[in-house]
Amino acid sequence: MTRMRQSVMAVAVALALLLVGNPPGARAQGGPPIKVGFASAMTGPSAITGEGVKWAAQMLVDEYNAKGGIMGRKIEAYFGDNAGTPGEAVSAVRKLVDVDKVDVIIGQTHSGACLGALPVVKELQVPMIIEACSNPKIRDLIGKTVNEWAFRVNPDDVMLANQFAKYMSQSTKSVSIFAQNDDFGRGAAAAYDAAFKKVGIKLVSTEFFDRGQADYRPVLTRVKRANPEAVLLVMLASEGSVFMRQFREIGLTQKLYARGSMATVEFLYQVKDSPNIADGLVEATYWTPALDPAWEKQWLERWKVPVRVHGSLAAIAFRYALVPALEQAIKKTGRTDRKAIRDALEDVDVASTPVGRIRFDDTHQAFINMLLVEINGGQLKILEKIAIQP
Amino acid sequence: MGDLLEQLIHGLTLGSLYAMVATGLALMFGVVRLVNFAHGEFYMLGGYAFWFAYGELGLPYPAAGLAAAAAMGVFGLVYERGVIRAILARTWHVQLIATLATSITLTNLAILIFGTQPREVPTRWSSTIVEVAGVRMAWQRLLVLAAAVVIFTGLEWFVTRAKLGRAMRAMSQNREACAVVGVDVQQVALATFGISAALAGGAAALISPLFNIFPDVGALLTLKAFAAVIVGGFGYVKGAIAAAFLIGLAESLAAGYVSYAYKDAIAFVVMVVVLLVRPQGLFGRRIGI
Repeated sequence: MTRMRQSVMAVAVALALLLVGNPPGARAQGGPPIKVGFASAMTGPSAITGEGVKWAAQMLVDEYNAKGGIMGRKIEAYFGDNAGTPGEAVSAVRKLVDVDKVDVIIGQTHSGACLGALPVVKELQVPMIIEACSNPKIRDLIGKTVNEWAFRVNPDDVMLANQFAKYMSQSTKSVSIFAQNDDFGRGAAAAYDAAFKKVGIKLVSTEFFDRGQADYRPVLTRVKRANPEAVLLVMLASEGSVFMRQFREIGLTQKLYARGSMATVEFLYQVKDSPNIADGLVEATYWTPALDPAWEKQWLERWKVPVRVHGSLAAIAFRYALVPALEQAIKKTGRTDRKAIRDALEDVDVASTPVGRIRFDDTHQAFINMLLVEINGGQLKILEKIAIQP
Repeated sequence: MGDLLEQLIHGLTLGSLYAMVATGLALMFGVVRLVNFAHGEFYMLGGYAFWFAYGELGLPYPAAGLAAAAAMGVFGLVYERGVIRAILARTWHVQLIATLATSITLTNLAILIFGTQPREVPTRWSSTIVEVAGVRMAWQRLLVLAAAVVIFTGLEWFVTRAKLGRAMRAMSQNREACAVVGVDVQQVALATFGISAALAGGAAALISPLFNIFPDVGALLTLKAFAAVIVGGFGYVKGAIAAAFLIGLAESLAAGYVSYAYKDAIAFVVMVVVLLVRPQGLFGRRIGI
């Protein structure tokens, strides 16, 4: 009996030592799944971006869960539809937080939606990693002192415009801007207006269009009348294909620059019957399939359509910002609650990613590389990779 | 001058699109006194039907266009039997909600079935450029204008001469009297929906080679067509056609000479002004279609 009691005591002490002695991370192995919310436009004229984000999320969840999750914790993906608008973004965040009870949000893809979501993530205290919203105002609305819950991976249009305008000024003296009539388009147009002044490019005209428009010919006639040397398009591939057909139909031959998703495989897929239609177009961007051929291959095999930019950007935010933050939170605290993830995101520093180093400064902004991508012979070609300085 | 001509051609192309959709809407309202808020989605489905027939099955363009119109005609019949007949005797609130719900359902079904990637169906007509009085345009634009003339002439003949057309006119004037004299009002209503939906399908086959097809394409179109129906005098088909061309031209001239971003707003201001001056609509009449 005494021997029996001694054995039980020994096992109990050993167990207690095991629990006390192990680091928090080891205790957290296994446990409830980590709930990740993906917010993007799943309906409306921008629905193609949300579909890409959803597909990317499904690929990531399958990939990480097949490996046993993140430090033993499975991943669950939830989706919020912001329809690409500020109002719907508020509902999307509330749905993800109140109904799905997510631990973290990746999104919102569209600048207007981001601007709408920022006050709500602050109010509800849920971390949000912005993957693709480039409106410059966002910079002033996130960070340690303003909104500690939001982080942005992608550069904004002021950062891009300064570099891109310098590049344009080498061969262009006058430009007309043609931009989406939303926070993305208006933010970019204002940024390029200022950047052009710095490098001596004359801004001939600025035109805005609503997404989902069918006929661009009236405005192309205005561009023809203004006769700039080049046109800067701030638009996505879904509009770009119709626009380019009408651009050629009307007989315009101006040099084309772009911001959005024009120099992409998405665009080339849509104009596959005339792949050279946008030859010579140069886009300022931060992601292109050549940065991650394995992801592109995996995407094509799974979805049978070319890889989409916005889904890929969500994947970048997931792999190189969220996953390291989760690993760090589990190791350090053993917790993956919203506060722990937020704190860990501040310490993320991944030097080698396809888009450059991901580390958030005090304004919660990362400084990844900027790319200049050209459409040449119906193919994409990286012209320059430029490191953006804080 | 070349500039103005260019804007007028854009306006007429857009007007043709609005007119073909508005005609169906006006026919439906004229005959059964119901506003079909899902009518833009008929155009969207017609676009996908055309894409399938032309792009996937590889049918020749005229055959694919007719197939899209026929497919939508059948869809119109099914819609009348499945949705409209059940709500025809109900209040306008119920009709509004039912047609709006159909619109949302069809858009989301299109997202599920066809995905969000816009479909492009360029034809030889849309890829070949012709120059008319210094204005470059795709042959397809001329085809749209010519087809609009043929379709509207045919429709005028149909509603004034054909037995079914005259029955539709009669119903737009007095449904009860028609029933009393032995007109099968349910069959006429059914045919009206078939014809209206086929018109939307035909419009999609004509316009899709110039513009994209995507699930949300019908939303703004319904609004424009609805505006044309109001301005033209509710339920008066010729009025809706004229008003549709007016809206198309106003939009194009506003985009070309004032502001592209506010072209829709300007077109709708024109509509409000017309209604202030003529509350009964531009061509308001007591007799319907």
